[in-house]
This record gives sequence, C-alpha cells and structure tokens, in this order.
Amino acid sequence: MSATTLTDRERAADSATRSRGSAAGQGHHGSHRDNEAHQGKRQRGAASQSGTRGQRRREAAWGYAFVAPAIVLFCVMGAYTLFFGLEVSFAQWNGLTPTWKWVGFKNYLDLLGGSPLYSPEVRQAALNTVIVMVVVPIATVCIAFPLAIILNQVKRLSGVFRSVYFIPYVTTGVAVYMAWKYVLEPDGAFNALLTMFGLGSLSQPQGWLGNPDTALGTLIVIMVWSAVPVAMLLYLTGLQSIDGAVLEAAKIDGAGWWRTNVSIIRPLLAGTTAIIVLLNVRDGLQGFQIFLLMTNGAPAGRTNVLGLEVYDLAFQKLLAPTLGLSSALGWLLFIAALVVAFINQKVTKER
Amino acid sequence: MTTLIDPPTVGGARGSGPTQGRSSAGSPAGSGSRSGSSAASRGRSSRGDVGWRRRLARLTPATIISRLVLGVLLVGYAIISLYPFAWMVSAAFKTQQEVVMGTSLIPEQPTFATLAETWNRLEFFNFFFNSLKVTVGTTLGVVVVYSLAAYAFAVLRFPFKQWLFRAFLVLLFVPGVVTLLPIVLLEDKMGILGTHFGLVLPFVNGTAPLAILLLTNAFKAVPGELRDAARVDGAGEPRIFWRVYAPLARPALITIALLTAIPTWSEYQLSRVSLTNEAAFTLPIALQNLNSTNVVQYNVLMAGALIVVIPVVILFLATQRYFVNGMIGAVKG
Repeated sequence: MSATTLTDRERAADSATRSRGSAAGQGHHGSHRDNEAHQGKRQRGAASQSGTRGQRRREAAWGYAFVAPAIVLFCVMGAYTLFFGLEVSFAQWNGLTPTWKWVGFKNYLDLLGGSPLYSPEVRQAALNTVIVMVVVPIATVCIAFPLAIILNQVKRLSGVFRSVYFIPYVTTGVAVYMAWKYVLEPDGAFNALLTMFGLGSLSQPQGWLGNPDTALGTLIVIMVWSAVPVAMLLYLTGLQSIDGAVLEAAKIDGAGWWRTNVSIIRPLLAGTTAIIVLLNVRDGLQGFQIFLLMTNGAPAGRTNVLGLEVYDLAFQKLLAPTLGLSSALGWLLFIAALVVAFINQKVTKER
Repeated sequence: MTTLIDPPTVGGARGSGPTQGRSSAGSPAGSGSRSGSSAASRGRSSRGDVGWRRRLARLTPATIISRLVLGVLLVGYAIISLYPFAWMVSAAFKTQQEVVMGTSLIPEQPTFATLAETWNRLEFFNFFFNSLKVTVGTTLGVVVVYSLAAYAFAVLRFPFKQWLFRAFLVLLFVPGVVTLLPIVLLEDKMGILGTHFGLVLPFVNGTAPLAILLLTNAFKAVPGELRDAARVDGAGEPRIFWRVYAPLARPALITIALLTAIPTWSEYQLSRVSLTNEAAFTLPIALQNLNSTNVVQYNVLMAGALIVVIPVVILFLATQRYFVNGMIGAVKG
C-alpha cells in the first residue's frame, strides 16, 4: 500500500521537475534538467529502498541488458577508435609497417608551424576553414531569416514552397555536387545564363571551380544553398512561437511591416539565430565532403580545408608516414569542436 | 496531408505525440500566437464567405504590389533551390550528342536511352541494391539497438546511467574524420573491411548520439502510469517495452529511421576508403567512379545522379512531417 502511494507522489514530483525544465528553457538545458531528475531519483531510491531491493536489482539488470548492444558497439567503434587515433597521433607511421616510431608531441608541433613541408599547407587550409566558418553562417542567416518571414505570411502553397526549399538539404551528397559541377563547367549552364542576361563579362572561361579566385567562393555559395533549408525551418518554428499579443501591440503603436520584423521579431529570434550560427560553425569546422568531391583542394590548395587535410594525410598520401600527423590534426579539430560546443552551451544558457 | 497546406503545423507540436516531449510545453502559446498573428496581418474577419469578400474589396494597389513582390521572391528562391536539379533531369534525358552541343534546358529529343543504359550496362541496378542493403541494415540497426538503450535511459533505474548517457553524447562532437582511419585499420584486422557489414557497424554507431537523444525524450514523455499498470498485470520489461512504449513512440521511431536512412544513402567518405571491390560499390561511390574513370559524359553522369537522388526525394516528400519534426528535435537536443 505505502509503496504505491509513494510511487505516485514520486511520479508527480518527477513530472513537475520535467515540466519546469522544459518550460524554462525549451529543452536547451538538457544536462541541467537531467541533473535535477537524477537527484530526484536518488531521494526516491533512498525512500523506497526497504522491501523492494530484489525488484530494483532486477530493474537494474534489465537496464544493463537493454543498453548492452549499444555499449558494445560504442566500445568497439567509438571509444576504441577514438583512443587508437590519440595513440597514433604521437607516432610516425605509414600504416603498412608492423611497428611505428614514437615521436611525442612532434606531430602537433609540426602542424602548428614546425614543419616546412606540411605547415604551409595546414596554414592555408586553416585560413580557408576560418573563411568558411565565418561566411557560411552569416550568409545563411541573411537568406534564411527573410525567407522564413515571407513564407510565414503566405497562407496558400506555403507547404509546397517549404518542401521545395528543403530538397537541397535532403539530397546533399555526391549526386547534387555532380550536378553543380556540370552547371559550373566552362561551357556550362551558369556561364550561358550570365551571357544571356548580358553579363558575359562575368562568366568564367576556366569554369567557376577552375579559377583560383572564384573556387572557394563558389563552394561557399553551394554550402549556403544546402544550409538555408534547416535554418529556415528553425526560424519558421521560432516565428510560430512568438506571442501574438506582442505583434498586436506593435501594430497598435503604429509599427509597420518592416519595423515589426526588424525591431521586434529579429530580437525575439536571437536565440534561434545563435543556434543556427553555431550549427553552421560546427559544420564549417568539421565538414569537408563538398571539398573532397568537387575540388579535392584544387586549384593549388585554394579550396583545401582542415577536414580535407586530415583525410588527405590519412588516405591520399599512400606511402608517406603521415598517419600520425593526420590523427593529431583530427584531435585538434575535436578539441576545437568541444570549444564550440562549450560556447554554444554558454550562449544558450545566458538566454 | 495537412502539413502540405497549413504552415503552422511546421512546429508539429500538435498531434505528433511523444516526439515533442520537450517542446510540448510551448504548444499552447504557439497555437495562440498563430491566430493572433494571422489576425494582425490579414484583418480580423478571416473566416467565412463574408470575410473573404471583404478582403477582396480591400485589395488596394499597394497590397497587390506587395503580394506580387512576395510571390516573386518565393518563386525566385524555389527556382534557386531546384536549379541544379533542373539541369540534372535535363541532361539525363539528352543524348550524348545533345549534351555536348546544346545548352538548352529542354531536351530537343528526350530519350530514355541514357537512363536505361546507366541502369543496365553500367550496373546501376547492382549499386542501387547495394545501397539499399546498407541503408536498410543501418536503419534497422539504429532503430533496434538505440530504442532498447533509450528505453533503459528513459525508464529504468540502474547505476552509472547518467555517466553512460553522457558518454554517448560526447560522441556528438567527434568529427567523423577522426575515427575514419582507426575504423579502417580495425576492420582490416577484423576481416570485415570492404564488406557491407563493415559499413553498417560504424554507421549505426555514428547515429548513436542523435538516436539516443531523440528516443530517450520520446520514451520519457510516455506517462509512467502505463508502465505501472502493465507491471501490475504481470508484464516484464521486454513486454512493456514492446507492447506499451514502442507503439506509443512510433512517430519518434519513424523520425529517427528517416534521419538515419537519408544521410546513409548518400554517405561517401567511409564507403570510399573501405569499399575496394567494384561489385560491392554503393551508389555514391559508383557515381564518383563514373566521374573519374573516363572522359566525363555528363548525360550518363546526370542519369546516375538522378538514380541516386530520386529515392531520397520520394522518401522525403512522403514522410516530411516526421522529417521536419525530427530536424527540430535533433537541433534542440
């Protein structure tokens, strides 16, 4: 009897914590909330300890049984590979010899400027990565925000538009990059389009990806094109959660369409903007598929990025002993990603 | 179906059940604001015949122009979104001669020969089947392994639970390229490098953080009373999971299946470095191979690209409600 009443009360407490958590932060306080729930559970555990020990033990056994497949996979494919990578990052190895040579922190120092052979390459890649990390998020926000506002005001066909806008995102991959390459060829459709509109002087006779001055910019445009759909979706969701009374008040105060969007809606969606920017910063830091598939760093390293450099050092240098360098650079990227994640948490918590 | 027409369902807070565990608190406010904002933008009387007529009467030149501008902008971005696809389709239906000669979007003599040839002679049928195998395997693996794990994380009590949960979430920040090399070396040792099984394992593990996050939230949203009731009826944990939780979390399970299947279908990096035998190639690898081996024949290449893209587009259009909800859930997590 007493056991059942206890569980009921516990459950009420638990759901209270839960709703408090989600109301406070729309789910961004994940870890915080988990902590609360966890503490709640501890207290409960202490309260209901007597009499149900066997039951709790059985529950724990089932718990481990349910997570076991995930844990095994995690240990082999996640933890092991991660730490193996860390180990290799302190060695010099080409992957073929049975043993490797320990070199301590040399790989890291080489990457950060010590090696005349690799550090210029890495520096160029780092520069390009930073450009991507800055330009792509800004451009994505500048396109996605107005687009979401417009789409939110349209009643008819807006679902159709949304589906169409989403297609670049779901199809991201080799096929779409091939299509872009085809369009951007020297005698491709895009140059022809420019000529048709009398802008023939802007067309690129070497192809948009062949000219060292336009290659990176072109890839950035395509990256933004792929990133806009998700950003637009997040803005749409944000727009629908804005309190109508605020907009009503703005209207009564005589704010026009433009003023409402810029001075009221934009600040209200600052949190959404922060998420979009950070997502794209992370992608810019780690993503390299488009670079690998469309240019592979060409022309002359002008479209090389750090992710591609890691891949290149690991798989495209054949016999050179660069696996350690690759792993070291990969770990530096991992650390950078953690820093970005940390900033992400700070920003979303401050809101 | 309503999602196609009605914009406010984007948020999906309504009717999506357990998927929206976290954001459901915001749902009443959301729907409230919706009626408010539409009233603000379109005048108060938006329902019924009378309102419609009155609205028509109030169509001043200014509103007509502003609507025209909005329409042009929307259509303009739709064209930008579809631009490369238009040329992909166009080239896929052109003959070799025409694709070299002309830059007209509409093929003069549309032909199915290129598509048929790509599918048959270049064995895209084979590659399609390989891709299907890997994608279905990965998706099933993710749904089974992580729904079990998420049930434990959401419902059961056991020591070190939070530690394990966090360990999975850290994986979210590991750049894929860091584990690529160790995976290849490890699989080489295990003798599964180059097999489809060798692709499925890391793909499944790569989806772990997202799947656990989404599914744990979905299971947490299931009322605990149901579990208590089932236990009183004598059901064990596997039965409760299978009979109570899995059916109730179905939207979330479909969502994670989609969010797994679509990227897996297009995966390139790991497939590239592990698949060496052409018979085992997946579509993206076959396509890239087509690009690099001979002189580029863009009609054949675009036909191949079309074969890669079409299943994804169909899957997306058929299931976009789940997909859209999932994207939001994934980002918020």
